[in-house]
Amino acid sequence: MTTVGTFRTLALSPPGRRVGSLLRHPRAARVLSWVGFVAAWQLVVPFLPTDLVPTPSEVAVFMWNELRMETVAPHTVYESFSLSFQRLGVGLFLAFAIGVPLGLLMGLRRWADWFLHDFVVVGLAMPSLVWALVAGMWFGFGDLAPVVTVTLAAVTFVVINVAEGVRNVPKELLDMSGAYGVSRYATIRHVIFPSLMPFFFAALRYGLANAWKGLVLAEVWASTEGAGWVIKFWYDAHRSQGIVGYALFFIIVAIFIERIVFGRLSRWVFRWRPSDDRRTPEPEATDRDEAVPAAVPAATPGRQ
Amino acid sequence: MATIKVTDLRKEFVTDTSTVVAIENVSFEVGGHEFVSVVGPSGCGKSTLLNILSGIESATRGTVDITEGDRQAKLGYVFQSARLLPWRSVIDNLLFVQSTRGPQVRARCERYLDMVQLAHTARQYPGQLSGGMQQRVGIARAFSIEPDLLLMDEPFSHLDAITARSLRRELHAMWQETRKTVLFVTHDVSEAVELSTRIIMLARGGRLVADLPVELPFPRDPASDAVALARADLLRRFESLDLLAT
Amino acid sequence: MQTNLRPRRPAAPPSPGGDERAARRRAERRARWLWRIAGYVFFVGLWQFTSSFLVADFIVPPPAVILTEMWDIIASGQVWVHFGATLRTIAIGFAIAFVLGSATGLLMGRSRWWEAFLSDWVMATLTTPGLIFALVTAMIFGLGPTGPIVAVVVTSFSYVTVNVVEGVKAVPRDLTDMARSFGRGPAQILRHVYLPFLAPYFFTATRYGFSIAWKIATLAEVIVGTAGIGFMMRQQFQQFSMRGFLAWVLLFFAFALFLERVVLQRRMRHVLRWRPEVAR
Ligand SMILES: Nc1ncnc2c1ncn2[C@@H]1O[C@H](COP(=O)(O)OP(=O)(O)OP(=O)(O)O)[C@@H](O)[C@H]1O
Ligand SMILES: [Mg+2]
Repeated sequence: MTTVGTFRTLALSPPGRRVGSLLRHPRAARVLSWVGFVAAWQLVVPFLPTDLVPTPSEVAVFMWNELRMETVAPHTVYESFSLSFQRLGVGLFLAFAIGVPLGLLMGLRRWADWFLHDFVVVGLAMPSLVWALVAGMWFGFGDLAPVVTVTLAAVTFVVINVAEGVRNVPKELLDMSGAYGVSRYATIRHVIFPSLMPFFFAALRYGLANAWKGLVLAEVWASTEGAGWVIKFWYDAHRSQGIVGYALFFIIVAIFIERIVFGRLSRWVFRWRPSDDRRTPEPEATDRDEAVPAAVPAATPGRQ
Repeated sequence: MATIKVTDLRKEFVTDTSTVVAIENVSFEVGGHEFVSVVGPSGCGKSTLLNILSGIESATRGTVDITEGDRQAKLGYVFQSARLLPWRSVIDNLLFVQSTRGPQVRARCERYLDMVQLAHTARQYPGQLSGGMQQRVGIARAFSIEPDLLLMDEPFSHLDAITARSLRRELHAMWQETRKTVLFVTHDVSEAVELSTRIIMLARGGRLVADLPVELPFPRDPASDAVALARADLLRRFESLDLLAT
Repeated sequence: MQTNLRPRRPAAPPSPGGDERAARRRAERRARWLWRIAGYVFFVGLWQFTSSFLVADFIVPPPAVILTEMWDIIASGQVWVHFGATLRTIAIGFAIAFVLGSATGLLMGRSRWWEAFLSDWVMATLTTPGLIFALVTAMIFGLGPTGPIVAVVVTSFSYVTVNVVEGVKAVPRDLTDMARSFGRGPAQILRHVYLPFLAPYFFTATRYGFSIAWKIATLAEVIVGTAGIGFMMRQQFQQFSMRGFLAWVLLFFAFALFLERVVLQRRMRHVLRWRPEVAR
């Protein structure tokens, strides 16, 4: 019935109305906004009083050259990003190595929670800029300052999430395992560990987002290579298309990690969930205290 | 064929704002091949009693002894809610509570899944099953360890009448065949009369108010006079409980 | 043989009455505070120990030195100059972002078309690292306060927008329909239905936006500031003065926490007093 109706109106309506109704569709709005934005940007820039704003075509050319490894910077985009990723990996590993035991302790023992809580909250709220500068002053130029920055910026997120996860292990399932006399090892492996998974994910997500911001800053001020340092290089060289181009690389990498890596991984880990909420393992762990949400970027990692 | 000896049991829950007495001065003994129903109004401490028997809760006062010949009694517990591990498949949920591994253990689990008519869901996750199906997995899980003592907390209350009736028959047959001890919580009076050899009645505040043998031969025809009379008697007692409570 | 199902606590004391419960709560509160103080003592002690025995003073200055440095900064009046400068940046930038963001958020919340039109750009500004905005505005506007202000506007704008959109979508349809069916005009509906529902979202927006604004403002000042907390941090960093740096960081922290905790949350509690869980 409805299809027939729609078909008729479409067929009978004059071409003008058809275009109008197409334009009213949200998808048209999206296309329109992209086209409009890029066009406006391209057209407006020449009239600006400054020549420091790059046009989209300049940015596109820059990015294309970077991808073909034609660059005036001392390192290619691939070298820079892979170095940054190595630092990120090592730092995150350390953050988990330190944060998981502390989080377990805080979740299991009340005194540990009381003992550490305020410091964890301060750590959560600390701008990663501060970590970057402190690490820079302590360790000078090199690999150590960025790695330490990553660890410091991520570790409190790990601690708070693991602690919350431990407190949230479903008691009725633990009771069930106890009533059936299931061994301690099997209980940890099949009850406690899986129920901690969403909190590990949250820790990884927020920790990664914060660590990445800190890493870039540490590379700006306390390193001579890496993606952050290259941005500083373009800044000093007054090449604004370099800054914008690198920003776009950042966004692409962030989207890749968020959608592909986290998306795939969490779909696999949470494959037992009824299909619609498999992709969003959001435990909202960090909302336990008043203090924490302010420190956690709303729903959106990836921002200094 | 386990023996349960409960003496002078008392359980209170202390919270920040109040103290609730869930079990008050309960003593009873269950020996051997008995099917004991525990009935009573909602909130009278039935689940708490089973939790204490299974060791999940500890009593405030009194003792509980569960003996089984010369070895540890194996308990199977059907909880009031299914309590399945959502991240493990149905068959893995059954395997999780087994004390041994091996192909014959697996075959046993599959057999009990089949008994609750869920063999086809073995590879699915609990989240993909309906509430009643999950409850049946919980029943299969309790049966699958072939326990000496079976604790069941309103196992059939989420199920439709037909499924419940067939599972009741299944339970009864298994009880007769394996001569296990069953402690069966319900607030369905007909169900209690149909299945039990003995009925323990709790009142609000966890007091034991009646301990009645049901001496009717099996199989019990719900339409027969004897069963109807027993049911009427129990119902009368049940209603007078409410009068006492108010 | 018997199973070990004997109660773990064979004979409990008689049930605690009200007095005992209160006593237990007091004891717990005392324990909590003791542990908390122990935590502070431990960390300050660790700090002191590190600076006196493990590393040189200029790498980890002892706590007392930092405290005197902080006191000097306060006494000399520097703190007001620089906090004032940063606060001005934040206030101006955030006010603009709030107005723009609220308007955009209302637009996007009410119209699917506008949501589709704008959401990609809002998301893009949310995911771009703040450093990028700080650097680009620095290049365009050069030294001085304009660059930081623009950076604050751009970054906190998207936070406000996202939260307002969320709020508008959470306004229950049946209440607006009810108001309309009683013949209330758009202004009245905005005032009596939308605003009370949006209030918590405005506050979330303010809190997130504000903490972001702090960070981006200091970051921008580190790069191009001529005054402000970030500017002072950079100075101390370049002079390699851990002492001055930590003193400024701690002052920054105290101030940010005070503003957010005391000032913002007070307001929030007042505006949200109709909600049962807040009134408690
Ligand atoms: N963990 C607990 N903390 C505090 N009170 C509890 C706890 N568990 C049970 N109670 C209280 O003990 C009493 C008995 O609870 P129980 O769950 O045993 O009732 P029940 O007989 O199983 O009821 P139903 O038929 O509704 O399942 C109730 O008043 C309940 O509020
Ligand atoms: Mg119950």
